Amino acid sequence: MGNCPVIVAAGRTKFGEHYEKQPERLIEEAWLKASEEVGLERKDLEACYLSDYFLPITNKLGLEEGFLSEFTELHVPMDVARSFSSAFANACNAIQAGKYSLVLVGGIEKMTDRWDKIRDDLMLLEDPWSYYAGCTPEANHELMLRAYIRRYGINGENLEKLNIALAQVSVKNHLNALKNEHAQFQRKITVEQVLEARKAARRPLGLYDFAPISDGATAVILANEEAAKKLTDKSVYVLGSASATDYLSYPAREDLTGFIASRLAVEKALKMAGISLWDIQVLELYDQSTVMEMVSLEDLGFCPRGTAWKIIYESCQDYKGYYRIGEKKLYVNMNGGLKADGNPLGATGGAQIYEVFKQLRGEAGARQVVDDKPLRYGCVLELEGFGTKGHVHILGVKEPR
Amino acid sequence: MSSEPIERRVSYLGDRLRGRRCQLCGKEYFELRDYCGNCGRKSFGKMEDIDFFYEKGRLELCTLITEPTNKFTKLGSYVYGIVSFHNGKVRVPGRLTDKVIRDDENVDPSSFEGREVVPRFRRRYSVDRSEIIPTISLAFTFADEYYPHLEYRPVKPKKEYDVPGIVGYGVYTSRFRIREGALERAVPFIDEDAITAAVEAGKLALIHSGVDSTLIGKVYVGSESNPYAVKPIASKVAQVLKLGEEDEDVQGVDAVDTEFACKAATSMFKDAASLVSYPRMGVPYAMVIGADNSQAAPRDSPGGELDFFVGFGGCAYIFGKADVIAELEGWYSCTSDTPDFWRRDGEPYPMHGGRFTGDPAYFKHIRKAAKKLMERLRLQPKDISYFVAHQPNVAFPVRIAKELGFKEEQYMPSLQVAKFGNTYSGSSPVGLAAVLDVAKPEERILIVSYGSGAGSDAYSFITTSQIVEKRQRQKMTVRYQAENPFLEYVDYNTYRRLKLGM
Repeated sequence: MGNCPVIVAAGRTKFGEHYEKQPERLIEEAWLKASEEVGLERKDLEACYLSDYFLPITNKLGLEEGFLSEFTELHVPMDVARSFSSAFANACNAIQAGKYSLVLVGGIEKMTDRWDKIRDDLMLLEDPWSYYAGCTPEANHELMLRAYIRRYGINGENLEKLNIALAQVSVKNHLNALKNEHAQFQRKITVEQVLEARKAARRPLGLYDFAPISDGATAVILANEEAAKKLTDKSVYVLGSASATDYLSYPAREDLTGFIASRLAVEKALKMAGISLWDIQVLELYDQSTVMEMVSLEDLGFCPRGTAWKIIYESCQDYKGYYRIGEKKLYVNMNGGLKADGNPLGATGGAQIYEVFKQLRGEAGARQVVDDKPLRYGCVLELEGFGTKGHVHILGVKEPR
Repeated sequence: MSSEPIERRVSYLGDRLRGRRCQLCGKEYFELRDYCGNCGRKSFGKMEDIDFFYEKGRLELCTLITEPTNKFTKLGSYVYGIVSFHNGKVRVPGRLTDKVIRDDENVDPSSFEGREVVPRFRRRYSVDRSEIIPTISLAFTFADEYYPHLEYRPVKPKKEYDVPGIVGYGVYTSRFRIREGALERAVPFIDEDAITAAVEAGKLALIHSGVDSTLIGKVYVGSESNPYAVKPIASKVAQVLKLGEEDEDVQGVDAVDTEFACKAATSMFKDAASLVSYPRMGVPYAMVIGADNSQAAPRDSPGGELDFFVGFGGCAYIFGKADVIAELEGWYSCTSDTPDFWRRDGEPYPMHGGRFTGDPAYFKHIRKAAKKLMERLRLQPKDISYFVAHQPNVAFPVRIAKELGFKEEQYMPSLQVAKFGNTYSGSSPVGLAAVLDVAKPEERILIVSYGSGAGSDAYSFITTSQIVEKRQRQKMTVRYQAENPFLEYVDYNTYRRLKLGM
């Protein structure tokens, strides 16, 4: 990639319920943490890209650009996107085009300020017609699971294993989050708890299969290579970044067992980065549910369709911190994933990028991945809606640490 | 959140399940697309209108919803899933309706998946009492249960009659019943009301008559439980059933609501019959619907005595001069200002004059109308095969029938109140339908309605030979609905909850 965008710093808040904090405070905290790393001042920024899904609904702050301008006392170009990945991709494009050399990408969401109505908002965002017919944010995940089971003829002992594998996804993500001081849930859970919650809900997926509703903010500072050199000697490059889209209405889609948007995006992103899928060592998946983590492994191409549950099941029988795919060790959702780290929609992608950034720089602390090979490539998958949009970013370092 | 333009667009598409099909490649859309995604520009002007309103679908996948979004909480738990039409060419989201699922009940989705379903026209979700009532047909019931799939096939009329009469009819009641003593009463599911019952009854009448819906020039809906004080039910019926020629989303039909307690519908029989007889104005058919989610205050409050008798249902009649199944021989109507039953604007439940409803009200008017009509047509009770009266309870219609000189075999076939309860505007029309379900050709039927306030309409119909031919299309007969193995009986509290609606 010519004029490759470089992540020079990343910051974030803890995810969870921040009753006491205004959204402005959260985004400030994330920015301060990121800028501190590289000694940046606000006035150094040439542009800001902000992402949020619901801020105008949840907090009624007026135009986000305006409150940011007031808050930062900046008058630079600012743009608002929905997902962090969208904002991030726009920022990358601008840097690649040579327009800016240093920009801020921030993500923010304050879902608990509208606790009573946010599920309706989420569902209307996913697909109004499904909402009108009675769908909930959880129901499509369950339908996808049923479609998956049916299509691949999974039954008997295998079905039991699949159900346990999905529970293990949640258990594994909670386990990873124990080492993540920013995570919403830092608490170990068991397979039995996951299964119990499903039983209590009388549904195939229960409380522990779904990511929570969260508040939080994330920030990433992006630069071109020249500006990056002045700020850090631990540059993380955005080698590939692509997105794809799919129908709003899940029932109307051709394939009900996965996300075509993920498949198309990863293909393009890999091509752009010029690496093979198997070069990827750390991976942040968009596990809005345990089913999403499972099908995403297939969507990205890490396992043949209909088999991801086996990989998960076998890897988690004796979990060593990674999914084992043949000889390959794949480190997935080291921050705890959306399930345990939290899912403040507009900020979530930022936390995923933050995690891969930290891992590649060897700064992930207690949860630092130590692979057989030094870490060189990481990948982020972020989805919007119920797979209506898929973003894939491939990050890498030139000299692995 | 309610916005009139959004509501208009959503219900225009969703009530009828409208779509388009590309005539080039055959791809179908649940949506009014002007061109096909496959074929692009060359498909402009090649998209034909389709809809799934009379179609049979298949429930592909489903799951139990135990924690609905805010507007669905009154439904409690329900099953939601994906329904496909035309062998999977189109897939839509859908909710299974007509199921009461207990809080501790386990539901196995695989026992539902793969089964055939038919769309039901229902309320979409709850809104504030001041808002537009949202509706949709993305609610489904199983085709092998209470509501079978019925094909709608408009047929070319074979025979013109000199006298107008009934061309087809439909009775719609719910699957739920409350049983108290000898009385069974129809209870709406929580997403039903007078509007949904009117539409469903009209749909059944179209199916039975085989009349092309675009030829219906007028629709009357009589109801005393319209959930709106101002806004017609008839406009919804016209739109959803596509009555009259549709031109740029406007239906070429006159639609009006009528109100006169329980005779709001029967009063319009003669108007409909007269209208179709008017030459040159192109109204070959007119539809009359009586539909009520009969209102009653809770038992322990004033007006609560009605709570023992109220039912739910709709009944639709199509009048015309072609392929008539029962000719309208004559009528007599009478009226007096008698305050025996009323509901003030803004009040949820009607009040009731107690013993005043009997002699000075019900009996007086029915007696007058029946006698006058029989006099005019020079009829004796023996000339009449069936007698149908308004049925607020079992005792009243039996007493007046006997008084007028009718025998059991003449009045019993129409007596349906013990199966459905008092369906108010639909009461005597349901009785008439029960008779039409079984009548032979060349039989005379005398129907006398009663509406509090007060008045009666008496009509004499004579059946034709076509009544037998058309009967095979009438699967949802009164008897089918009264003696259905899929009826579900609910307790008093559930009955009140369902009746109150969402």
